Amino acid sequence: METSITRSRGSKAPIEAVMNCVFLVCGLTAVASVVLISIYMIASGAPAVAKIGAPRFLAGQIWNPESGKFGILPLILSSITATGLAILIALPVAISVAVYLTHIAKERTANAILFLIELLAGIPSVVYGLLGAILIAPIIFKIQTALGLPMSGSLASASIVLVIMILPTIISVSVSSINAVPKEYNDISLALGSSKMQSIVKVILPAGKSGIVSGIVLGVGRAIGETMAIMMVAGNAPIMPELLKPARLLTVGVSMEWAYSSGLHREALYGIGLVLFAFIMIINVFLSFALKNGGAKR
Amino acid sequence: MKKAFSIAVSLVFAAAGITGCGATNLSGGVTPADSAVLSGTVKTGGSTSVEKVMTALIYQYQDENSEVSVNYEMNGSGDGIKNTISGLYEIGHSSRELKTDGTEDGLDAVAYAIDGIALVVNKANAVNGLTTEQVRDIYIGKIENWSEVGGEDALITVVTREASSGTRSAFAEIVGLEKADDPETSIVPNATTCDSTGAIQTAVTQNANAIGYMSFSDADEANIKILAYNGIECSEASLKDGGYTLKREFYLITKTGATLSPAAQSFVDFVLSAEGQEIVAANKLLPID
Repeated sequence: METSITRSRGSKAPIEAVMNCVFLVCGLTAVASVVLISIYMIASGAPAVAKIGAPRFLAGQIWNPESGKFGILPLILSSITATGLAILIALPVAISVAVYLTHIAKERTANAILFLIELLAGIPSVVYGLLGAILIAPIIFKIQTALGLPMSGSLASASIVLVIMILPTIISVSVSSINAVPKEYNDISLALGSSKMQSIVKVILPAGKSGIVSGIVLGVGRAIGETMAIMMVAGNAPIMPELLKPARLLTVGVSMEWAYSSGLHREALYGIGLVLFAFIMIINVFLSFALKNGGAKR
Repeated sequence: MKKAFSIAVSLVFAAAGITGCGATNLSGGVTPADSAVLSGTVKTGGSTSVEKVMTALIYQYQDENSEVSVNYEMNGSGDGIKNTISGLYEIGHSSRELKTDGTEDGLDAVAYAIDGIALVVNKANAVNGLTTEQVRDIYIGKIENWSEVGGEDALITVVTREASSGTRSAFAEIVGLEKADDPETSIVPNATTCDSTGAIQTAVTQNANAIGYMSFSDADEANIKILAYNGIECSEASLKDGGYTLKREFYLITKTGATLSPAAQSFVDFVLSAEGQEIVAANKLLPID
């Protein structure tokens, strides 16, 4: 089939065939990168998982390389907790902002706010880390002192920083998905006698649901992969997640001990990388699934 | 005492170097300016903690002895010592003392630099000093409140370095926290963990109840308070006279009784020479003499 197409167009524009090739190579480069990274992660992470034993690695509760204990359950649970909390807090805020921007605010106000939100998305994560350490951590310190806990970086600080970091992602995806809902839905709903709020909550949001879902998944992806900002506020102790105690997330687990590690310790860090990689792969598969469903519905 | 021993060893080595030189002088009638005669490759390797100072020393040495090339593989003190025993390295680098449990016998360790480990707390902290026992009890979680060591009534935030950090292992060894299996001698798992000296300094600056440890040469007293250890202030003077014991030395490891190649011997001599010691001091470490 390909040859017949090339032949039929060959006489018209030989440059098209060349450009086809160029674009094919570009596309293959991207695919090859993904394949290579996958192979590399599995090749370098799997041996450690095998040596330590998958159950002891994934379900072990103690991470103490000095005594040969490589259990990453606290890291996995901390990552899930921090990300989950961040989404739980960010989602209602993001949806409210999106509704405000699309249906309530005047266009000029909405555009100004949207511009600022997009700026927020472009701030480097180390700046979020600084803000977290300077503004959020002291508040958490006070709560910890009041509750009789030592002042330290905490899972709570990490989650709050993540909330601020993923808000722009969820808001902008939600705004475009709400904008994609046909205007007639709103008009009909209003014509049938519903109030503005009823129309938004019962008609527009359900119609834009799949887009909002992909916003969430994107937000989860960003949150679970965040390292720098988290390392600056989380306290980084490899213990089971507790809101007001230090927590070490998967990403931090790798980057923190990388520099001086060797032998099985270093291999175990590759193992953590592999787990993180698997997490993000699963999320992405889920994302494309959600996007496809959204397309079908529309 | 340990320091006295290492000085003695270094003196012996220096003496050996001098006699070596003397011998050449007698047979060939050469002067020290003839060092360009030296050639070959000196294989060394080990500690990553000594990287900065050792790289500076090697550059300067190679500058003066263009025919000699000194290799330095950075793979940790343990490997440095192991490979010196096996003969792979002529000189091993170590940022800890040799073990006395029989696994590291037959080696000589020559100290050439001292790196103090400072106990640091927030400037607002009322405590001025701690003993070894107090430090250990704080780090294993037995002492949880500053009031137990003469401070205000506030819970202590323990700040430590990540596993595999050289500073952490030196600190743990000196204070008696080296057995990671035993909760009585291991750092509390919920200790705030920092991945660099700078991160320790930030954590202690921001948190009024934190305690941490870091290389003395990097501690900035404008932002943090350095505690006395066993009643002795951490200072260049107390590090030099051996009073301040929370410190580690950087060593060159060689096989006992083995004759080094002329190039290796001249490198050892260079490190211990006034010029080498100047480089040590320029890298924020204390010279050994």
